[in-house]
Amino acid sequence: MGKILCATRGGEASYRTQDAAIALARERGDSLIFLYVVDTHFLDRTERAVRPDVVAEEMARMGQFLLTMAQERAQAQGVQAEVRIRRGEVLEELKAAAREEGADLVILGRPGEEESAFRQVDLEAVAREIEEETGVETRIV
Amino acid sequence: MRKNSRSIGCLFLLTVSAILLVGALPQPTWAAEGAALAGRVVDFQQQPVRRARIALYLNGEEEPYVEGESQRDGTFVLDLPDEPVDAVRLEISHPHFRTATWKATWADLERLNDGSAVRLPDIVLERQLTVGFWIATLTFLAVLLFIATERLHSTMAALLGTAVILGISLVGRPINEQLFIIDFEQAIEYVDFNVVFLVMGMMIVIGVIEETGIFQWMAYQAYRLSQGRVWLLVASLMLLTSVASALLDNVTTMLLVAPITLQIALTLGIDPLALLMPEVLASNVGGISTLIGTPTNILIGSYADITFNDFLVNLTPGVLLAQVALTVYVLLVYRKQYRAASAAASPALLAQLEENARITQPDKLRKAGSVFLGIIVLFILGEQFHLVPAVTAILGAVAMLLVVRADIEQMLRVVDWTTLMFFIALFIVVGAVQEVGLISYIAAGIRLLVGDNLIAATLVVVWAGAILSGVIANIPFTAAMLPVVGFLTRSLPGASNKVLFYSLSIGAAMGGNSSLIGASANIVTAGIAERAGYPITYRTFLKIGLPAMAITVTVGTAWLFIHF
Repeated sequence: MGKILCATRGGEASYRTQDAAIALARERGDSLIFLYVVDTHFLDRTERAVRPDVVAEEMARMGQFLLTMAQERAQAQGVQAEVRIRRGEVLEELKAAAREEGADLVILGRPGEEESAFRQVDLEAVAREIEEETGVETRIV
Repeated sequence: MRKNSRSIGCLFLLTVSAILLVGALPQPTWAAEGAALAGRVVDFQQQPVRRARIALYLNGEEEPYVEGESQRDGTFVLDLPDEPVDAVRLEISHPHFRTATWKATWADLERLNDGSAVRLPDIVLERQLTVGFWIATLTFLAVLLFIATERLHSTMAALLGTAVILGISLVGRPINEQLFIIDFEQAIEYVDFNVVFLVMGMMIVIGVIEETGIFQWMAYQAYRLSQGRVWLLVASLMLLTSVASALLDNVTTMLLVAPITLQIALTLGIDPLALLMPEVLASNVGGISTLIGTPTNILIGSYADITFNDFLVNLTPGVLLAQVALTVYVLLVYRKQYRAASAAASPALLAQLEENARITQPDKLRKAGSVFLGIIVLFILGEQFHLVPAVTAILGAVAMLLVVRADIEQMLRVVDWTTLMFFIALFIVVGAVQEVGLISYIAAGIRLLVGDNLIAATLVVVWAGAILSGVIANIPFTAAMLPVVGFLTRSLPGASNKVLFYSLSIGAAMGGNSSLIGASANIVTAGIAERAGYPITYRTFLKIGLPAMAITVTVGTAWLFIHF
């Protein structure tokens, strides 16, 4: 039995990705892990004083909530999913999670809006980098 | 060791408080004895010119008998010798002005030879455009551009501007006097340490409060008490963020409230942006109601000597009116999303929401809450004891650290030195353009435009502030506008009630609602929303934010006209 690692957030685009990952897990009989990465780099864009530790804690709680939603989505489709939260830069944490979890497949979601941080071109480069550095197959769905 | 660190830290903060307090007390003035010349050097706007070189020539000699410098208020006093003199001439020079000369009349000479002091009429210096003027102006524009386009971190942009200005001034002056902009001592004089220490003190206070979980708990209570009535939930969340932004600051408020709001929205099955956007708009508006609510108010309050109570009396009612109008607006704009709300969340999600919204440190909250209440009381009553806001903030920070027994090292790490450096460097850059005369020219231009019409001036300040704040960062904009508004306040009939400073406050802060980059709170809210999979695009923000800005600024302007 293989292991699918699905990086997720929330919103319509993520629901599509989650559904695709759930369908794949059911089809292949693989176990499924939803991953949320707490990335507070956006705080660099403000000149105001903030506590990254407190913000990261709040975002981790929000991530847990989003992961619970993803887990319920999988359960509703007959798949038991585990959830993981990591803190740091998204790409680095994705690669680390893929290695540590022993994933066979990493699923990334196609951007839902043109302004998304994960633009299509960037996303393809990200997928290549994960594959090259971890040896884990990476798909954009 | 840790105890020692805490004591040393508190001692440091207390020392700073004492220094600031002593600095705030009136200083004794020196009075000349015997024959002396006293006067004041001003520019064409009657603004004091400091550090003008005053050379006193006696009896037609080529070498000056004595030299002096004009003080901060433009005044100078030069002693004359006890012996009688036949002729007295003053030469007043400054790198950014044409040199002026004053000669004593017979009547003046008679008084001076009697051993009396002569008070000169104000000496008005005429500005001159030097190479330094253009360098300082271009540097200032480059700093604004770097910040607006995010090509450089705002602190880096301001530091770079400072380095260019000081570097060219100090290295260039010996080569060509035209390259001089500002010297180091002058630059430091432009740094408003009242602002720096007020911001620092409040950072520590907020740093303690924000980890207690109070905001998340209050947001959850708003959700619970609204019992599915989304309009009530929206109004409650807007009120919460507005009040929290007024008492703390809007960036912190949004960083703490946005994640839990997002979860509430998902629990109700509505688009999170339909709750986040009203919150961030309310946050930007609410911050204006107090001195400590926004950095722009801190800048304005310190420059114009507007107290905490002045803001409460003169702006808070206007802000409340603007909030009501804003609430009605968002309820109309998002009415479809609100109608679509359902309570279909699973028990697991509801439990998760409740868990995420609990107060994490109740004991700390009790202590920090009491201290914070004391700080607010001190802000209100402090002006009776000539307590400047910076001292109140530092005293509050010390009290917070002592009562909550926070780790001083951790708390000093909470102080964002990058932000403080940004303020210091920004003051120097703005000081440089003020020194070379750019600000004077802008002020004169606006004065020419509005004539003696205070209503026109109010409209120009409010709306120029509102529109420009959507394009350029409002902190440097406000810092640069302060001397302009100061000049208008002094020169326009009826403006002495400081209405134009309140206009600047409304324009600069409410204007931040017009675009995604208009306020830091917008950017951090978009950051959180994006990390949850609900990106707030520039277009989305503009579509909702621009009309909101127009409505709130209109209400704010109407309030100014009614109140003043």
